[in-house]
Amino acid sequence: MSTTPIYLDHAATTPVRDEVMAAMAPFFGPRFGNPSSVHRWGREARVALDEARERVAACLGAHSDEVCFTSGGTEGDNLAVLGVFRTRQSEGRRAALTTPIEHKAVLAAAHQVAQEGGDERLARVDARGVVDHAHFLSLLDDTVAVASVMWVNNEVGVVQDVPALAQAAKAAGAVFHTDGVQAFGKVSIDARRTPFDLLTISGHKIGAPKGIGALYIRRDTPLSPLFHGGSQDRGRRPGTENVAFAVGLATAAELTLAEHEAEQARLEMLRRDFVTALRARVPDAVIHGEGAPTAPHIVNLSIPGTNSESLLMALDLRGIACSAGSACQSGSVSASHVLTAMGVPTELANAALRLSFGVLSTPECVTRTVDALATLAEKARAPRAQAQFAVVDF
Amino acid sequence: MIYSPTFPSLDTPLPAKGERVLVAMSGGVDSSVAAALLVDAGCDVVGVTMKLHGDDADVPDRPCCSLDATSDARRVCETLGIPHYVTNLVDRFGQDVLNDFVQEYARGRTPIPCVRCNTFTKFRDLLAKADAIDAPWLATGHYARIGRRDGQAVMLRGRDAGKDQSYFLWGIERSVLERLVLPIGTQTKAETREIARRFGLRTAEKIESQDICFVPDGDHVRVIREHLGADAPALQRGPLRLVSGEVVGEHEGFARYTIGQRRGLPGGFAAPMFVVDIVPDERAVVIGPREALLGRGLEARELNWMADAPQVGDAVQVQVRNRAKPSPATVLRIDDRGIELALDEPIQAISPGQSVVLYDGEVVLGGGVIEKGRRVLPQFS
Repeated sequence: MSTTPIYLDHAATTPVRDEVMAAMAPFFGPRFGNPSSVHRWGREARVALDEARERVAACLGAHSDEVCFTSGGTEGDNLAVLGVFRTRQSEGRRAALTTPIEHKAVLAAAHQVAQEGGDERLARVDARGVVDHAHFLSLLDDTVAVASVMWVNNEVGVVQDVPALAQAAKAAGAVFHTDGVQAFGKVSIDARRTPFDLLTISGHKIGAPKGIGALYIRRDTPLSPLFHGGSQDRGRRPGTENVAFAVGLATAAELTLAEHEAEQARLEMLRRDFVTALRARVPDAVIHGEGAPTAPHIVNLSIPGTNSESLLMALDLRGIACSAGSACQSGSVSASHVLTAMGVPTELANAALRLSFGVLSTPECVTRTVDALATLAEKARAPRAQAQFAVVDF
Repeated sequence: MIYSPTFPSLDTPLPAKGERVLVAMSGGVDSSVAAALLVDAGCDVVGVTMKLHGDDADVPDRPCCSLDATSDARRVCETLGIPHYVTNLVDRFGQDVLNDFVQEYARGRTPIPCVRCNTFTKFRDLLAKADAIDAPWLATGHYARIGRRDGQAVMLRGRDAGKDQSYFLWGIERSVLERLVLPIGTQTKAETREIARRFGLRTAEKIESQDICFVPDGDHVRVIREHLGADAPALQRGPLRLVSGEVVGEHEGFARYTIGQRRGLPGGFAAPMFVVDIVPDERAVVIGPREALLGRGLEARELNWMADAPQVGDAVQVQVRNRAKPSPATVLRIDDRGIELALDEPIQAISPGQSVVLYDGEVVLGGGVIEKGRRVLPQFS
């Protein structure tokens, strides 16, 4: 049996693509200029940056002035939620409407809205993780400044009906933001067809480096900057632009879209084969978000009677990398807020594993992972022969 | 092998080459060296750091149990070329250790959270993680040793008398000793640091953790207030009494006092006064001269035995605090409820909530939580 390590955590991050490395290289070397400089080095950098912006815009169906480069998903989400709230408070729109299954970047930004005197509202999701549209509508009144619903959930892969939600939000006069970090390259994103006002993307999920992302900002969207400084990026994002990484993001985005169809089919097959094989070996495994529309690269499962943390360690020691939900700073595991919001019982939520397929995934990964999971599940659920540690009667 | 014979040999039985060992890594020098020695011996070592505190309770630079300490452990493992994981035991630790700590103070007692952390968190919950990753062995960086007596694993004091930590380890379930590895128990602290330097471990010069990990500023009253509220009876004013019953003043909450304490008591008496008793029902703190602190016996409960339990009439050595000189004692009574000991020489300041640990020479027999000290020995027929 092969012992090549298996990486099944593409929703956490992906390796930088060779094409991206090659595209970025000149900007660490001869083309090092500051895009704001008037001389030839500056001009060269400016041209590269403008071109990168155009290329990213084209990938989103956007005008190039609607693309703002950021440091990544968290900044994009914060800029969207807080930037709109802070601008619109004065018109009496002081609420941020979102859902309990958002990435922490949106949830914490909405919480910050409340800290700043605004109102934080959460629309319910059902047991599959799909936003309850009726509840969403009931919370949507003329005090909502911004509504934010993530397109593809990073933990369970559930796809929301963003076109309908965006339309409803717009009709109520709210600005609509969607966190598209996991959606880019997985669902079709086109600003000309879907009326979102703001959309966050992140480079490192699609083969660009960590530390670059973009926020799509539809023209005339009220938005104040998070940072204060120079006039870079129309004042929306002051600070010397990261030219190399912007070029990297543009390259990765183009490649991702070009390969979208073939990759989508390949990932869907891997996911389907994985679920089928797992079901055959561990019939009582629970797949979270089942029955909802899901992205092809994420599968979140719980095997009753196991524990995420122990499984993650045991899998890693067998060379298989996945995660329990989203990664946290200390590297430890706690129950996912997404599964909790979906009403998954704590016991089951504490057993959750997220496997995410991508560029490094092959059919062999699926076979070996299912084997390992079945073995570990059997072991974890075997009745303990001896009480290892008799309870001391305290 | 980097390990050189200049250091005392490891007489603790080590796992065989290739066997998997989970090493509990706090991020300090002791557990770093424990891991290093096992890697050097060819074991399949996995480092695990216990996360015991919520993220909002993080204290930068705390030598153990902080994000910084976890990072140190991770980097040591990287240096040693072994995997490292963090296990989230916040809830378990909260129930078994923190909650008990607060409740004991509320009952006018002085708990030792480190004992319960060892008993429940480290040598029970963490051991379950060892099972989950198929590790037959669990190792820690404690200054104590595992030896064998009559074919069974027993715990011995650490060789370095100044560092011996066996006092805190009495609660470990006996069967666990068969799986326990204490690689640095045969060394002095100076030797441990020297080995850390040889291995190039970043924790070689790290300062010791002195405080209780969740009371980094030494202010245990703050922790009690956070858990029980400022209006908890243990934190309210109450009478300061003499042994005779005479009220001589007021105190600011009995949870601030420990038996034997002198600090914070009024002056003006013929002799220095000490806390000799705490009566939580009356919120009273009783003070008296040094003689009133002397105990001739004690009762302990919540017993655990790491060797065969002693019998009535047995002569043992006992310690009622860490690094005290062992005192000879005799078992007066022992049953499921507890043990009653007669002390051959009186001991000062026997504090309910603290541990009494029984030794037979170097061997740790076991111990219990002190229920009360006895000034007069009870009679058993």
